[in-house]
Amino acid sequence: MQFLQPCGVGSAVPRSPSTVRIRLFATAREAVGAASVDLAVPDEGMRADELVAALGRKYPRLRPALRTSRFVRNDRYLDDLAERIRPGDEFAVHPPYGGG
Amino acid sequence: MSVSVLLTARALSVEQAMRELSGPALGGVALFAGRVRPDRTRAGRVWALFYEAHEPLATRRLRELERTARRRFGAGRVVLWHRIGRLRVGEVAVIVGAACPHRDAAFEAARYLIEQLKVEVPIWKTDRARPARRRRPRPSRPGAPSAG
Repeated sequence: MQFLQPCGVGSAVPRSPSTVRIRLFATAREAVGAASVDLAVPDEGMRADELVAALGRKYPRLRPALRTSRFVRNDRYLDDLAERIRPGDEFAVHPPYGGG
Repeated sequence: MSVSVLLTARALSVEQAMRELSGPALGGVALFAGRVRPDRTRAGRVWALFYEAHEPLATRRLRELERTARRRFGAGRVVLWHRIGRLRVGEVAVIVGAACPHRDAAFEAARYLIEQLKVEVPIWKTDRARPARRRRPRPSRPGAPSAG
């Protein structure tokens, strides 16, 4: 079950309880053309690396950014991509930083 | 009110940062301000940069840097301010500063802060560039030198 849908940040459209919101920044945002997308996940969740692979399949232009990005779940860095991402989580794609 | 860490869409003020970095025993103040440059890119000349940040993670990381600068360099006051949104060429995008009893520590702390900010804090910039205008060939005048 994979269902990706672009949406705007702060969208008024209510999210289904079985989805993960994926926030995209910089080159990742530009590759997809949206600041966030929603991904339907099974009730038991899915591994972070599976989720990243699903994103790459859905958005081929996102693949280069995914290869160099760090990933964040609920504002915490993910050290282990075997961790499960569950419905209601927020997942973020962080391309290399470039402040200053 | 003291504001060490700031992510804002409003213009940053170097004068305000200097006030933030004042303290009676803080004789050395090092302050760095980064401005938007009109770099050339493949798309053309940069006229603006768009900055975005992942909040609240970015603020949390900035606070961690502030704590490290205080602990490692003995900084009494620290400033870590960053703009977000669209900034035109010449606008100040970032101000970092450290106030310490002496200059060596202040320089080291400020250098540490800007270098770590660039690699540890989830802030990004994407450029807005404008293609260079092509020059129209001038109509040739009689007697004017010509190529070839």
